[in-house]
Amino acid sequence: MKIEVARRNARVFVMSLEGELDMSNSPDVRNALLPLFKDEPTHIVVDLSRVPYVDSSGIATFVEGLQLSRKNNVRFTLAGATPTVEAVFDLAYLKNVFEMVPSLEGLFEGEGKA
Amino acid sequence: MSLLQLSGPVILDIPTDPASLFLVRGVVERLAQRMDYPPEDVNRMVLAVDEACTNVIRHAYANSPDKRIVITFTAHEDRLEIGIRDFGIPADPDGFAPRDLQEIKPGGLGLHFIRSAMDEVTYDIPADGGMLLRLVKYRTHREDPRK
Repeated sequence: MKIEVARRNARVFVMSLEGELDMSNSPDVRNALLPLFKDEPTHIVVDLSRVPYVDSSGIATFVEGLQLSRKNNVRFTLAGATPTVEAVFDLAYLKNVFEMVPSLEGLFEGEGKA
Repeated sequence: MSLLQLSGPVILDIPTDPASLFLVRGVVERLAQRMDYPPEDVNRMVLAVDEACTNVIRHAYANSPDKRIVITFTAHEDRLEIGIRDFGIPADPDGFAPRDLQEIKPGGLGLHFIRSAMDEVTYDIPADGGMLLRLVKYRTHREDPRK
């Protein structure tokens, strides 16, 4: 699993993941994602466009992110989920709980650039 | 006639290292595709077996990476049977219950994914210890005869 975090501007982060997300690497994603909330972000985006598979441990990581986002009033978006990954969120009845968008395109309008 | 004729079961013996789970997923996916399950069923079966192995690593072996899981795949004309055998701490199957899906909280989804994907989910506690989880998926969905 390749994990990259880019700062789009001072308070907007984009975490890009590449590879299958399962029990072997979800702790790594968690360890990269949760500390971002300490930097007082306004918006955190996870780009899932290069993630072909996610299991329940991956879903649990994103649920933790969602809970922190609600607690800290941070916008939390999952972008570009493949149909296979989206189906897992759907199976967990979580597809409509998250803000899920097809891609990063147009997502940051009005949020400024770096 | 079965789309896949094998002279015996396929047996996969893996370490309880989460890094080996991709191998299990690969075998489930290729077998299920060759047995002509619909793509949605293939994906769910892959997820179910992955989650079952994850549960074994977490709960039966308490995340110890140097134990074994033996996964047996038997392709029948009408179904794929998957046995997941561990030699760890047996749990009480009556205590297995998926969490309330109305709650938005991390964890507890694995069993829901397994039961959603498979037509039969049964547990045995073999005399020589551990547990045997048996998962069955029919090629044409059948109603559970117990209902």
